[in-house]
Amino acid sequence: MRVGENMSSSTPPKGTGNAELQRAVSANDDAVYDLPALAALVGTTPTLLEALERSGLLLANQHDATGTALYSDADAAAVRAGLTLLDAGLPLTELLTIAQHTDEAIQLIAKHAVDAFIAFVRDPVHGTATSPTEAIGRLVTAYEQMLPATETLVAHHLRRRLISEALERLTADES
Amino acid sequence: MALAVTTTRLSESRPLLALAPERPDTVAWLCDGDGFVAWGNAVTLDPGEPDQRFLDADGLFRAATQDATITDEVGVPGGGLIAFGSFTFAAVAGSKLRIPQVIVGRRNGVTWQTVITTGHDLACDPPLAAGVTRPVPAHHQPRFAGSTNPDVHWLDAVAQARAAIRSGALDKVVLARDYAVWSYEPFSPLAIAERLSATFPQCYTFIFDGLVGATPELLLRVAGDTVTSQVLAGTCARDANEARDTALTQALLASQKDRDEHAFAVASVADVLALHSNDLNVPNTPYVLKLANVQHLATTITGTLRQPIRALSLAGQMHPSAAVGGTPRENALAFIATHEGMQRGRYAAPIGYVTPDGDGEFGIALRCAEVSGARARLFAGVGIVAESLPEAELAETHLKLLAMQRALGSI
Repeated sequence: MRVGENMSSSTPPKGTGNAELQRAVSANDDAVYDLPALAALVGTTPTLLEALERSGLLLANQHDATGTALYSDADAAAVRAGLTLLDAGLPLTELLTIAQHTDEAIQLIAKHAVDAFIAFVRDPVHGTATSPTEAIGRLVTAYEQMLPATETLVAHHLRRRLISEALERLTADES
Repeated sequence: MALAVTTTRLSESRPLLALAPERPDTVAWLCDGDGFVAWGNAVTLDPGEPDQRFLDADGLFRAATQDATITDEVGVPGGGLIAFGSFTFAAVAGSKLRIPQVIVGRRNGVTWQTVITTGHDLACDPPLAAGVTRPVPAHHQPRFAGSTNPDVHWLDAVAQARAAIRSGALDKVVLARDYAVWSYEPFSPLAIAERLSATFPQCYTFIFDGLVGATPELLLRVAGDTVTSQVLAGTCARDANEARDTALTQALLASQKDRDEHAFAVASVADVLALHSNDLNVPNTPYVLKLANVQHLATTITGTLRQPIRALSLAGQMHPSAAVGGTPRENALAFIATHEGMQRGRYAAPIGYVTPDGDGEFGIALRCAEVSGARARLFAGVGIVAESLPEAELAETHLKLLAMQRALGSI
C-alpha cells in the first residue's frame, strides 16, 4: 500500500510523497566510481582525492552495499575543473581555502533554498492538491524544474561577481 | 698572505643590525641582540669536495689562519678572528666560509670591533656612523612566482613517504617545499633580518650570501670542552587566545605522532654526541618552545667533550640530523633525493661561525629565504611519520612559510 493512499481527506498527512521525492532527488546522478576509479578517470592520484574527501569537499551522495562512497560523471567533471585551476598555477592550499569558503556559503544557500522549497512549494501543493497522486506528481515536477534553475542562478551570479571583482581589482592595479 | 687581526672595544648601544652597511657580503649571526654583523671579504674559502665539505672547509680555515697575528684587547669569546659560513644540505657545490674584513660583535653588553687585513686589500666600510641610517627600501608587495614542485605532487610525495614508513623502509623522513616570490625592487637582506630578529628574538637570525632567516634550531655549539645542541621537531600553531594556546600546547605534548617525530630527531643528535661525550645530558621529556608563529617540541642536549673536537668536524658528523633528514639517515636521504622534487641548496643545512681554536656555533638554516636581487626562494619542511595526513602536512608548510612571507613584507 502506498503512503497516504487510504487517506480520504484532501490534506495528506505529514511525509506524504517523501519517498517519491527522495527517488527524484537521488536519481539525477549515476554514481558508479569508487575513489581510485574516479582518480584514474580524471588522471590524478587517489592522494589528492582522499584529501578532498577528508576535508568534506568531495561529497558522495551515494554509497555501495559496503558503505564505499560512489562518485558520478558530474563529480568527475568537478574534479577536472579543480585540476584545471591547479594546472593554471593555483596552489592547492589556496584552492582548498577557497573551496572551504565556498562550501560554507553554499551550505547556507542550500539550507535556505530547501527551506523555501518546503515552505512555499511543498506545503502549498499539499494544501491544494486534490489527491496524493496529484501532489506527488506536482512536487516531482517542481523539483525537477527548480534544481537546474537554482544551479543556473547560483552559477550565473558567481560568474557575474567574479567578473566584477576582477575588473575592480584590475582597475585598482592600474592606478 | 698572513692575516692581521685587531679587536678593539666599541662604545656602541645601537642594535648590531643598525650598524651594518648594505653590501652583498654583509653577514649576520644574532640571538637576543648578541652576536655579530660583519662585511667585507678578507678571505673566502670554498671547500672543493662536496662530500668532505665540512672537513675541507676546516682544513682551509686552519691553513688560512695559522700565521695570523691577532691583537685582541677585549678578550671575550668571539673576539679576534672568526669565519662565517653556510653549507649545502646535500653533497653539492655551494658551501662557503668567509673571513670578513670588519666584524662588530656584542656579548653580555660588551661591544667590540674586529678589523682583519691581508696587507693588500682595499679599505672597507666602517660601521654606520651615529645618526646614519640605511635608506628605507621602497615597499612593493612581493608576489608569488611558483614552487619547484607543485603542491599536488608534493602531496603525493607525502603519501609515498607514509607508505614507505608503513612498509618499514623508513621510520621518519622530512619533506620540504619551496615557494618563490618576486618584487619590483630588490629585497634588502638587512631589512628582512631586522624584521625577523624583532619577531623571533630567541631564534638565531642570520645573513650569509643571500641566505636570510631566523632559526630556532641550534645544531651545535662548541665552547671549549662543552657541547650543546637544541633539537626541535614536532610543531603546531599558536593561538592569540591564551586558553586555546595552552590547549594547543597540551595537545602537542600529548600527541604521540609529534612525540615520535621528536624522539627520532633527538636520538639522531644524541647518538653522534655520545661518541664524543661521557656525560651527555638528554632529557627524557621535551619542553615546548613558543615562537611568534608556531610552537615546537624542543630538547636541549649538553655534554662535556672527551677530547677536543673542532666544531666543523662535529657539524659534519651531525648533519643531517633526523630533524631535517630522517631515520634511518641513508634511507631518508635517498627518499628525499628521489621524491622531494627540488634542490634544497643551503636550506636545512648548517650556518654559523667558527674560531681558529675550533669553537663555533652552527644553526640549521630553517625558516629562511635565498634572496637574489628582486627574487627570493622561501622554504618550509615537515617531518613525516606513519600517522601523517598529507593535507595536514601541506597546511603545516603553509603555516611555516607565512613567517618568511611576513618578513619579506608580503603579508
